[in-house]
Amino acid sequence: MGAMEGIAQGFQVAFSLQGILFVLIGVIAGTLIGMMPGLGPISAIAIMIPVTYGMEASVALIMMAGVYYGAVFGGSTSSILLNAPGISGTVASSFDGYPMAQRGEAGKALAIAAISSFVGGTVSVVLLMLFAPMLSQVAVSFGPAQYFALMFLGLTAISSLSDGSTTKALITATIGFMTATIGLDGQTGTSRFTFNNPNLMEGIDFLVIALGLFAIAEVCFLIIKRKDTSLSDQGDIGSLRLSKEDFKEMRGPMTRQSFLGFLLGVLPGAGATIASFIGYISEKRIAKNPEKFGKGSIKGLAAPETANNAATSGAFVPLLSLGIPGSGTTAVMLGALLVLGIQPGPLLVQESPDVFWGIIASMYIGNIFLLILNLPLIPYIAKILKISRPLLISLVIIFSLIGVYSISFNTFDLYVLLFFGVVGYFMRILNFPAAPFILAFILGGMMEQSMRQALTASGGDVMALISDPVSISLYVVSALSFIVPLIRTRKNRPAA
Amino acid sequence: MKKIFVFISIMFIFVLAACGSSGSEESSGGGEGEGSEDWKPEKNVEIVAPAGAGGGWDTTARSVGKILEEEDIMDKSVGVVNKEGGGGAVGWSYINSTNNPHNIFVSSPPLVFIPLNGQSELSYEDFTPLANMIADYGAFAVDADAKWNDLNELFEDMKKDPSSVTVVGTSSPGSMDHMQFVSIAKKAGVDIKKIKYVSAQDAGGMTQIMNGSADVYSTGVAETVEQVKAGEVKVLGITAEERLDGEVLSEFPTAKEQGIDATFVNWRGFFGPGDMTDAQVSFYEEKLKKVSESDAFADIRDNYGWNEMYMNSEEYKEFLQKQTEELGTLLDELDMGQ
Repeated sequence: MGAMEGIAQGFQVAFSLQGILFVLIGVIAGTLIGMMPGLGPISAIAIMIPVTYGMEASVALIMMAGVYYGAVFGGSTSSILLNAPGISGTVASSFDGYPMAQRGEAGKALAIAAISSFVGGTVSVVLLMLFAPMLSQVAVSFGPAQYFALMFLGLTAISSLSDGSTTKALITATIGFMTATIGLDGQTGTSRFTFNNPNLMEGIDFLVIALGLFAIAEVCFLIIKRKDTSLSDQGDIGSLRLSKEDFKEMRGPMTRQSFLGFLLGVLPGAGATIASFIGYISEKRIAKNPEKFGKGSIKGLAAPETANNAATSGAFVPLLSLGIPGSGTTAVMLGALLVLGIQPGPLLVQESPDVFWGIIASMYIGNIFLLILNLPLIPYIAKILKISRPLLISLVIIFSLIGVYSISFNTFDLYVLLFFGVVGYFMRILNFPAAPFILAFILGGMMEQSMRQALTASGGDVMALISDPVSISLYVVSALSFIVPLIRTRKNRPAA
Repeated sequence: MKKIFVFISIMFIFVLAACGSSGSEESSGGGEGEGSEDWKPEKNVEIVAPAGAGGGWDTTARSVGKILEEEDIMDKSVGVVNKEGGGGAVGWSYINSTNNPHNIFVSSPPLVFIPLNGQSELSYEDFTPLANMIADYGAFAVDADAKWNDLNELFEDMKKDPSSVTVVGTSSPGSMDHMQFVSIAKKAGVDIKKIKYVSAQDAGGMTQIMNGSADVYSTGVAETVEQVKAGEVKVLGITAEERLDGEVLSEFPTAKEQGIDATFVNWRGFFGPGDMTDAQVSFYEEKLKKVSESDAFADIRDNYGWNEMYMNSEEYKEFLQKQTEELGTLLDELDMGQ
């Protein structure tokens, strides 16, 4: 069997001294980058490309892959502790992680994040190893119509992301959609809402909005409401230890989201961010006590953390088995492969089995390293909350500014960040939820583009959007996710 | 308490390292060569990639920057800075406003398209062309099972009904992938105003022809090689003057040899700010020529599938004038010119 030999060869590469060393370097760098609000793996990997020139291809890639999933692993830390997402894939982790930390359970929250990241990462690597060649067909099966249906499903989450008024959630979601249209329109090249400002032509970066609405808004809130103790003045991080019940609660989301996250990661364009949101809302939909979500639910933290790490391995399916990058980060890695003289494509598994299987095998080791690195560090990292409030607030501001500046090295983005910070503050005191805004913003851009691609190709025939089994079943699931909660409340009402 | 500060300082160091490339932001407008014969940079040179990390501009900037430093071609150090936004416009206005001969940038045909589309006030005429480095060519790929086997068969169908075929590319309409297809199709006699062009930004073009969402993928030559090798897609034609070198590349027929007398070059080179002295221009010209001739750059070209296309400042200027005229006419015909 060629595959068995390949796998064996991959483990040989990954378990060589060099392999282990570079996985370690990669995951350490990745965790640190992920922890910094705003700093993502894309720029880190791009900066590494010239460094790896001349290195052995498999080793260089093992390191880069380590940076990538290490960043997703570590990205939850600042989401949980500071409400300042490290990377876009961990925005959803702040929904329940931050409330937990505020409750004085920061240690527990970080432990849950680390364990579910580890499970998501490891299960998905097994799936990657077993099914990568087979799944390559799934990756190309989604056309614009199917993406539209998938985004539509994601949108049904808006109602479940609001704790209070559905009207307010819909208002913020609409503004999120509108914000997504800022910039050059992909299908016509027309500038929309840019007011002739070149800085707005590529639209607004997702992380700028996320850091503004979450981190900066929180900071404003803390400064203005000085008596409030939400940013853990008591500095209590609680115990790291998870009880049997906690594990029991995590088990369901971890199992389901490992698979779902992986599958969403396989689809080019969906990626860790969308996987984490869909993971979050799908668990909320099926949870017995959905009202706990958003208030520090264990499930609500375990789900996105499992899903985003599983999606990260999933993203390697189209990259390694087809040579098609599914995300910005994998696109940069594709570039790195070229520099190293490796042609990523459908033949990679035959032509460079050491690279193909080496990366996959190294991810097992990488995930174990990440767990070993992260768990013992939690008490130290969580102590960041013990720093005095003025210092902590300044740190959050500084890191958010640095993170945003490092996205595109453009001072204009800093003003946008502050603008959304103020908007976020007012949304918060007026009880407008920020999460639907964020969700509509991510989904909106992709949804609009895929709808218009599908309609251009069909010559304007709307039926093209619902003409195949995949999209139809996605619409059915969307419809169910509306109807089922309705029936449930109906049933409960007489009893209550 | 100590540990926290250790942790914080580690974080700081990390941030500084990650942002290191952008450290040299201060813009001293000085450094004019005072008209003397020789000019040498007085401080570190900054290459601006007017796009995010990982794209074509960025890889060109980084690989040239690395060779300039490592092969000791330039004794000052060279940093690469990403100025992303507006399809390049943000980077261009940065160069224009700092107007410092130590800041140069990488560019390619969008520098011609974007001003013509009316999306940027600045055009190549506001900058000083220093040297072109490489050329890349476009390829038109279809699914391996598609009914067309060459460009003429495709264009015959498109002449009958241009809207029966959906073309997909990565760039937005009126930019690279769209225009390279349009310029070849026009020569073949297709009504270019009726061509259906879809832009799939996330490298989704290849996927779209494989699953039948679109028919033709207009892209760079290198992007198609592996899929052709694996038998997933076939390339109907490329936009180069002559066939390219390389094991799969040499099998791709040019549009020209199929009787369509049109070519399209995706050139890539370096520009400086508007006011530069002759001494400054010739300094960069000479350094970039050395890079172009180095073995290290030849390796990089091979790896990315780029072709050597060195032009000095004068040749480059003429070339750009010609391109602006040609593409301007084409865009006007599509009603996209401003």
